[in-house]
Amino acid sequence: MRPKKKMEQAIRRKLRFAAGTTLHDRLWTDVLRAREESTGTNPAHHGPAVRRIVAKSLAAKAACVAAGLAVALLLVALWVRLSAPAYALDQTVTALRSVRFVHMIQRDDVGRISFERWIEIGTDGAQVRYRQERPPHPVAVIEDSESTAVYRYDKKAVILYDRSEEQYVWASLLGQALENLRQEGKVLEENIDYQGRRAHKVWWPAIHGECYVDTETKLPIVAGDSELSYEEPPPGVFEIVIPEGYTVVDNRPGATGSLPEWFVEEERLKKNAGDNFRQGMRALARGDSAEAAEKFEMVVKVGYDTWAWFWLGSAYYNLGQYDLAIEKFTQMLEKLKDAFKGRVDLSSCYYARGLAYTRLGRQEEAKADWRLCLPAMVRTLRIPSAGFVFEYADNPLVRLGEYKPTDQEVVTKMLNRLRLITGRDFGYDPDRTPEQNEAVITAWEQWLKSDGQIRFTPDAKLIPAPATQKP
Amino acid sequence: MLEDELLKWKFRRGSQEALSRIYEKYLNSMLTLAMGLLNDTAEAEDVVHDVFVSFAKSAPDFRLRGSLSGYLATSVVNRVRDHKRRLRRHACRDARFCVSTGSPEPDEMVIFTEEAARLNEAVAELPEDQREVVLLRLTAGLKFRDVAKLQQASINTVQGRYRYGLARLRARFNGEVEP
Repeated sequence: MRPKKKMEQAIRRKLRFAAGTTLHDRLWTDVLRAREESTGTNPAHHGPAVRRIVAKSLAAKAACVAAGLAVALLLVALWVRLSAPAYALDQTVTALRSVRFVHMIQRDDVGRISFERWIEIGTDGAQVRYRQERPPHPVAVIEDSESTAVYRYDKKAVILYDRSEEQYVWASLLGQALENLRQEGKVLEENIDYQGRRAHKVWWPAIHGECYVDTETKLPIVAGDSELSYEEPPPGVFEIVIPEGYTVVDNRPGATGSLPEWFVEEERLKKNAGDNFRQGMRALARGDSAEAAEKFEMVVKVGYDTWAWFWLGSAYYNLGQYDLAIEKFTQMLEKLKDAFKGRVDLSSCYYARGLAYTRLGRQEEAKADWRLCLPAMVRTLRIPSAGFVFEYADNPLVRLGEYKPTDQEVVTKMLNRLRLITGRDFGYDPDRTPEQNEAVITAWEQWLKSDGQIRFTPDAKLIPAPATQKP
Repeated sequence: MLEDELLKWKFRRGSQEALSRIYEKYLNSMLTLAMGLLNDTAEAEDVVHDVFVSFAKSAPDFRLRGSLSGYLATSVVNRVRDHKRRLRRHACRDARFCVSTGSPEPDEMVIFTEEAARLNEAVAELPEDQREVVLLRLTAGLKFRDVAKLQQASINTVQGRYRYGLARLRARFNGEVEP
């Protein structure tokens, strides 16, 4: 064994963590602010003897009474103003704690339901039962408390899984999204009219979109393009029923009977797709676009993940195959528009496709795409989380949890994108705070409202991205 | 030691310079202590942030007879304990509000060597009370008497925890050239 002293020395000398400049400065800013706040509330110990002065003069006494009345009136006015309760995001999180059922609906352009989910949440907050349907998509899912049934209308079959092995854990995603709302959400407008209902408008970074919160219940009624309600579902919603003429493919442990070939093949591809997806992301991150394209092609064959379409497009773009890149970005847009409308911000995809169009000289199509993503791009300057999806799209390591861009980095890169596709430059100093750059942000917002002219400028002057420290 | 006494005196009188010096002097050792106790960069950053912010706010009423490093280290330990309690309550009460805290996101905010990371991994595997005493003694320089007070245990118990903790670490690195 190592001598005890050597171990002590090793810990004393080598177990050291140091704050990087960013953390050091951020903490120090907060520490200074805390100090200023605390010293600002100190009572003045050696103020003038006001009572003595007032007591000596009649005029001072009268002035003092008048001042007292004025203060009283001001206090009453303030009390009336404050008695209207202000909205805080915590109220929504608290309200959602008591929710037992969530009903989510998305509609197509003519108002028909295109995606419907029912979720039952247990008293511990975990998902108990679930149902999703996306007409006319050939797959629906029902989870009761024991099994997960995947309805394959295209195969006229119902696949049964043990719930512990195949679960559509939507509530856990909801948990993360709520935590995100509590910590990073922003109230944009209070007490406004939303389709005849009073609501607060809130920016919700996790969904990269806005949501509306009912002023009475404090519950979200709309998140992105999803309508939310919390009523108890009709009986039988979570009941697994086998339609007449359908085959049951029982894939639960201990089930006997053979599995159909198509199912065995799909399961095999699904498993491979997961591996290929991870390998594709890593290949793209290290700049090996050929391998990335190969891996993502295998993933999209089984429809494993829609982001595979995007990164496949990126890989082809890097390889100079712009036609293919446009095709893949278009696939991504169509799939996401149908499946996740409102929940996933598609701006980064329009931006990427616009670039690919430009490379082929198709400027008008490029401009049409960029007009769709410009609002999110400009919004990022004020709310950096609005641009996070661009970083997610640009660097698969973000998805793998191995890279986390700072707000400053998100904003700087977004300014470069804006300069590149618009040819505009209103100046910007990445070392200054958003407040100090307010004039520039306002100029971009004004430009978007009034002019919005787009001119692709490949030689635009770009701002160096802020350096990040590596551990 | 004398410098700390002077810093305490100046800090109590509202000197920003004193606060800045205390911050520069103890930030990294408190970060190391928090990292050792939590083994999570983001959580350690939060704890150290809260400790220094709370310390800065305390200036008008600041009275301290003991050492500054002991005071700050005790604040870190208490914050870490609160943090862990909150997480446990959180997890039991409502799974909807739980976000994974064990995600392996490297954070560029904190700089450390491979050796430090390996040592920290090993320290993180110690039982909580042993981990506390090893870290408080070796990274924050607390006396056994102060650790005993903090852990509400006798000095003998604390010394025992320290011995067991070190023995485990030595066993862990047995045969390796250097941890």
